[in-house]
Amino acid sequence: MSAQGAPEVVLREVSKSYRSSTPEAVPALRSVDLTVGRGEFVSVEGPSGCGKTTLLNLLGLLDSPTQGEVLWDGRSVGLLADRERSRLRLERVGFIFQRFYLLPALTARENVELPLRTLGVRQPERRERSAELLREVGLEGREKAFPHQLSGGEEQRVAIARALANRPGLLLADEPTGELDSGNARQVLELLVKVRAERAATLVLVTHNPEVAGKAQRHLFMKDGRIADDRRDG
Amino acid sequence: MTLGSVLGGRNARHRRWQTVLSVAAIATAVALPVVLISVGGGVADHELASLRSSGYQLIVSGSGTHGISNAHNATTKIESIPGVAAAVPILSVPIDAVLGAGSYSGVLAEGVIPGSFPLTLGPTEGPLFPSVLPLGDPTDTIHWDGGSYAGPASWDVLVSTTFQQTFGVQVGNTLVLSPTVNASLGIAFNVTGVFGVPPLIGVPTGVYAVLLPLSDLQVLAHLASGPGTVVPDAADTLEVVAQAAVASNPAALAALRATIQGHFPGYTVTTLSEQAQQLEQASSLLTGFYLALSSVGLTVGVMFLALVLLRRVEGDQRSIGIRRALGVPRSRIVLGILEEGALLAALGGTFGVFAGWAIVRGLATWATSTVQLAAELAIFEPSTLVSIALGVTGLSLLASLLAARRALALDVLEALR
Repeated sequence: MSAQGAPEVVLREVSKSYRSSTPEAVPALRSVDLTVGRGEFVSVEGPSGCGKTTLLNLLGLLDSPTQGEVLWDGRSVGLLADRERSRLRLERVGFIFQRFYLLPALTARENVELPLRTLGVRQPERRERSAELLREVGLEGREKAFPHQLSGGEEQRVAIARALANRPGLLLADEPTGELDSGNARQVLELLVKVRAERAATLVLVTHNPEVAGKAQRHLFMKDGRIADDRRDG
Repeated sequence: MTLGSVLGGRNARHRRWQTVLSVAAIATAVALPVVLISVGGGVADHELASLRSSGYQLIVSGSGTHGISNAHNATTKIESIPGVAAAVPILSVPIDAVLGAGSYSGVLAEGVIPGSFPLTLGPTEGPLFPSVLPLGDPTDTIHWDGGSYAGPASWDVLVSTTFQQTFGVQVGNTLVLSPTVNASLGIAFNVTGVFGVPPLIGVPTGVYAVLLPLSDLQVLAHLASGPGTVVPDAADTLEVVAQAAVASNPAALAALRATIQGHFPGYTVTTLSEQAQQLEQASSLLTGFYLALSSVGLTVGVMFLALVLLRRVEGDQRSIGIRRALGVPRSRIVLGILEEGALLAALGGTFGVFAGWAIVRGLATWATSTVQLAAELAIFEPSTLVSIALGVTGLSLLASLLAARRALALDVLEALR
């Protein structure tokens, strides 16, 4: 198990456009320059369709740039082969999605164990780690529950436990509280802040919610595929 | 979509019917060749063993039904050739036994020369017959009377134990045999003994059999002489028993064969080993036919599996997308699909082999007549079963590859949308 720490992530002149039914490609990101330092807590805000999720996908190597470079610790990784990008995602990135994306056929514990299993961690250690993570997110005793047996807040906490399973240095959260009521949203947010701090991980969080964004140290505001504003607290 | 999740029953739990139907389709596809090949192979092996254990070494046969004419003369001529111990004409005719007013049973009648017939029997069949057949006229020359059929017939008959047990015919009874279901054309025979029935495949009346002097059967079946006779003094084959020194010497046997062939250029003289070879070839051909026939079922089963797996990949798009997003490599996803296909194929194959075996055992227990007999002879060759299983697994892997290809083509972000 490698815990390689938080990478310094740099986007250099990164553009991304998608093909659509129209002859011309639709730009989602336009020549973005961004450096996310190790251990930073960054919120990304902006109207729908401004490129927030695309930015997150590029940072987490889920997508490749059409132009420009994605660098992790100075190494260009944006255009690596699929296999290598998968490996980096597995070892160094924890994704938390708005719609949780738990595998419905697996229990809470099995969902948390999935990245560990992929990494080849043996079962006793997997069991121990998943139990520890589920305890940490307040789901002790719910290990055997399937996603459909969990509340939205519980599902998102399982998703957070899963994202933390391989001790990633980079946590990417796309509207993690978007599907939750205010009570659950607050709990999930506090959990994210806590685990980030404990692990000294980098957290990039896409949100529409100013209260959520308020917890971040740095705030990116996006508009029309560009970073319109980049502010740091204090 | 991993082996673990399938083994853990997750997929089965969520998509039970797909799993059950896939396994059932493959099981059905496998059961068919298992039944056909095990029964067909068993029957062929039995016939081959029976042929190889025969007491004769050469067979003289003619073309068409009852292809030997003037069988008595031919027999005498062959028996005069040095190296020949005996020649026995055999005539087989399906006839009817009259069991009462308007009641008949099909029966296979075999006409032989009573005195020399036991010489043609091998160690398997020999003990089934009396050492001396109680049929009167051991040389079958009295009734035949030089081809005039003017001598007194013995009208003696031996009945098979199956016939005896089924119809309660006892030694000393009279049994009317007729060439058709018409009692007025029948002749009353004296039942003078019984014999056991060796398994005879492909002959519906095989288990109900009677044995009688050749000339008596020729007269009964209108295969003797005179008006209306198509083949005079007819027989199907002449089985030639060579003297021991000739029988054990292939060169001498080949020479004897050539001599007989020289005397009867219009007939075909073959050795037992040639007959065995022909039977083996026919058996191989039949196995090929069975496999070709079964391949249709296998193709349907595998296509069904391919459709189910494709459907699963489509249904699992999001799950695949999530796994990919979490860093599960494509190769692992593909391996999972291949594993799932192989597992379903293995389950289907195992059930199919078991079902095939159960069907054959069921036929051997509950079917009647020839089907039961054939099922009893079935042979379950491990190498054949393994070949079928490997074939199904190979085809299933191809089916899984189709699904895997679909999964490979999935875009992660599209799948997550």
